[in-house]
Amino acid sequence: MTVAPARSSGTGTKRPVPPPRAARQPWRLRLGWWDLKVTPYLIIAPFFVVFGIFGLYPLLYTAWVSLHDWQLIDGDQGFVGLANYTELLADQHFWNALGNTVSLFVLSTFPQLLAALGLAALLDRGLRGRAFWRAGVLLPNVISVAAVALVFAQLFGRDFGIINFLLGLVGVDPVDWRAETWASHLAISSMVMWRWTGYNALIYLAAMQSVPKDMYESAMLDGASRWRTFWSITVPSIRPTIMFTAIVSTIGGLQLFVEPQLFDPGGTATGTGGTDRQFQTLVMYLYEKGFRLFDAGYSSAIAWVLFMIILLVAVVNFTLTRRIASKG
Amino acid sequence: MSRTRVSKAVAIALAATAAAACGGGGAGDDGKIKLSIGLFSDFGYDNLIKEYQAAHPGIEIEQRKVKMEQHHTQLATQLAGGRGAADIVAIEEGNIAQFRQSKDKFVNLADYGAKELQSQWTPWKWAQGTDGDFVLGLGTDMGSLALCYRRDLFEAAGLPTDREAVGELWPTWEDYVKVADQFTAKKPDVKFVDAAQNVFKAALDQTEEGYFAKADDSYIADTNPKVAQAFKLAASLGEKKQTSALTPFSQDWNVALKQASFATTTCPAWALALIKAGAGDEAAGKWDIAAAPGGGGNWGGSFLAVPKQGKHPKESYELAKWLTAPEQQKRIFKETGNLPSEPAAFKDPEVTATVNEYFNAAPVGQIFGTSAENLKPTYRGTKDAPVTLVFNNALNRVETGKQTADEAFQQALGEARDAAK
Repeated sequence: MTVAPARSSGTGTKRPVPPPRAARQPWRLRLGWWDLKVTPYLIIAPFFVVFGIFGLYPLLYTAWVSLHDWQLIDGDQGFVGLANYTELLADQHFWNALGNTVSLFVLSTFPQLLAALGLAALLDRGLRGRAFWRAGVLLPNVISVAAVALVFAQLFGRDFGIINFLLGLVGVDPVDWRAETWASHLAISSMVMWRWTGYNALIYLAAMQSVPKDMYESAMLDGASRWRTFWSITVPSIRPTIMFTAIVSTIGGLQLFVEPQLFDPGGTATGTGGTDRQFQTLVMYLYEKGFRLFDAGYSSAIAWVLFMIILLVAVVNFTLTRRIASKG
Repeated sequence: MSRTRVSKAVAIALAATAAAACGGGGAGDDGKIKLSIGLFSDFGYDNLIKEYQAAHPGIEIEQRKVKMEQHHTQLATQLAGGRGAADIVAIEEGNIAQFRQSKDKFVNLADYGAKELQSQWTPWKWAQGTDGDFVLGLGTDMGSLALCYRRDLFEAAGLPTDREAVGELWPTWEDYVKVADQFTAKKPDVKFVDAAQNVFKAALDQTEEGYFAKADDSYIADTNPKVAQAFKLAASLGEKKQTSALTPFSQDWNVALKQASFATTTCPAWALALIKAGAGDEAAGKWDIAAAPGGGGNWGGSFLAVPKQGKHPKESYELAKWLTAPEQQKRIFKETGNLPSEPAAFKDPEVTATVNEYFNAAPVGQIFGTSAENLKPTYRGTKDAPVTLVFNNALNRVETGKQTADEAFQQALGEARDAAK
C-alpha cells in the first residue's frame, strides 16, 4: 500500500498527463485513440495471419520434419536429430545439384539483366506505338511456364528440333541438348531469360523515367555520346532498382524448378535432370527425394539448406546494396 | 525467401479446397452417393460407368483422370494428408509394391468378400494385388508382351514382313540383336529400336527375379547375372547407335513415331493405343505385331484399390468389383485394347478373335492372349520404381555416347544401391 502511491507519484512527475484523465475523456476521444493505436495493426493483421498459416507454420513444420526419419505416406518413423543434414552434406547428388543451380543462375541472370537494361533503354526512347512494345516485352512472362517449357523442349529437340535444324544450315553438327551439360544449361537459361528479361526491362524502364531529363540535356551539351550518358547517368541513377532486380532474380534463380524439370523428357515422373543429373537443380532434387522416393525428412532437410543458402546470398546482396548506396 | 514453401502451402491449400469442392465422396444434395474414381491414361470406363449409373440410380460416379506419373505422386500426397484421394484409385503394377508398404491407408477388400473373387484372376495377378490376407487391389488389365515393327521399313531392309516370319527371326534376344545388325547394314539412317531401356526391361521382365529377391525383397541387382546380361545386351544396341535414345512415351518419342525414325518397339497390349496416337492415321497398316523374343512377359497392368479415407468403402468395393469382372474386362479389351488379366476373359472366343485394324489387322486377341498364358511375372520389389530409373538412365548414357556400357553399369550399380535403401 505504501509503495504504490510512491511509485505513481514518481511516474506522475515525469509524465505531464496522468492516466486518470483518460477515464474522464469522452468516449469519442477514447475511440479515436484506439483507432489510432489499434487500427493499423488490424489492417496489416490479415497479411500476418495468412503468412503465419501459409508461410511460417510450414517453414517451422518443415524444420521439424527434417529432424525425423519421415516417410511421405507413413509419416514419422522416429527422431533422428541432424542425421538427414549430415547425410546431405556427404551426398554427391546434393553438391551436384547445388553446382548446377549456381551455374544455371549465373548463366541466366547476368545476360538477362544486361539484356533487360538494353531493352529498357530502347523502350525509354520515343518509340512509335510505345504501349504496344511495352506490353509486348511482358508477354513472355504471362504465358504459363509449363507451356514455355514444352515449346522450348521442342525447339531444343535433338532429332527434329528447330535449333539443330538452323545450326545444320550453317554446318554445325546437331547438339544433343539434353545429354551435354553445357548445352542443357544454355538451353534452360535461354528459357529463363525468355520469361524474365521483359519483366525486368519494365522495372528498369519505370526507374529510368524518374531520372531527371536535364541531366541528359547538360550531358548532351557537353558532347557526351548516348553510350556514355547511358553508363554514366542512367545506370548510376537506377542503381537501387538494379540491386532490387538482382536480389529477386537470385531468389528466383536458386529456386529454379519447372523449366529444367520439364526440359527433361521424363518430366515430373522420372526426370532426374538428365540421365547423369547434368541439369538437376536443388529444388528438383528436393522433389525427387520427397515426392518420388517419399523421403520427406531428407527432402525437408534439402529445403532448409536451400533456405539457408538463399538467406546467405540475400544478406551478401543486402550488404553490397548498402555499400553501393552509401557510395552513391 | 520462402517462396517455395509459400507456394507449396498454397498448393496444399488449393488441393484441400479442391478436395472439399469435389465433396470427397459425400452424399449430394439429391441424396445420391457420389463416388469418385482416380485413373490415368485410358481405362476404357466411360461407357461402363454410364451403364453402372443407370443400373444404380442412387450412385453418381465421377472420373478423375491425370497423367500416370502425376497420378501416383498425387495419390501418395493424398494418402499422407489423409484427404483428397478418390474413393477408388488405380495403381500401376510398377508402383503397387510401394503402396503395399502403406496398406494401412487402404481398405482391406477381403473385409467385403473380395477373397471369393480370387479364382477370376491369373494367380500371379491376384498375388500382386494382395499381401497375405490383405487384399489391396483388384486387377484390371495386364501388359503381356509383343514386339511391334514397321512393315515398310522391314521390307526396305530386305527382312520378312509377315508377322509369323518376323517372330521366327528372333526366338531369343541375341537373335534380335543380330536382326538389328542386318537391318542397320541396309538402312543405316533409321534406328532399329526406340530405346535401349525398352529392350532391357522386356528382357529382364522375362526372368523370375530382377532387382529384388522374391524370397525376402532384398536387393540383388549387383549379384543377379540376369540383370548384367540384359543390360549388356541392351547396351550393345546403344553402343552401336541402333537405338533412337528416346524416353519412351515422351513428346520426342511421339515425334519420332510420326517421322518413322525407328523400326521396332516393345509393345505391351496397352502400348498399342499410344503407338497409334503417336504415329497417326497416315501410318495405319504400317505397324504390325510379332511375338517378342524370349517368349512372353508382363509389363504393366493395373489394380483398383480403395483408400481408407473414403466415406463409402462398401459402395466403392462394389463398383471396383463390377469394373474388374470378366464381362467388363472383355468389353474394355474390345474398346481400348487393354488386355484382361482374367483367363475367363482373355481365353474367351470373343477376345481371341479380336483383330486390330490399325496394326495391319493383327489378331491381337490371339497374340496377347497366348503370350499371357505362358507368362511368368517378374517379382517387383518395394523399391523397383526408383531402381529401374537408375538403370534406364545408365542405358541412356550409353546410347548418347557419354559412357561405355561397363562404365554406365558400374555407376548404375552404385546408384541403385542407394535407391534401394
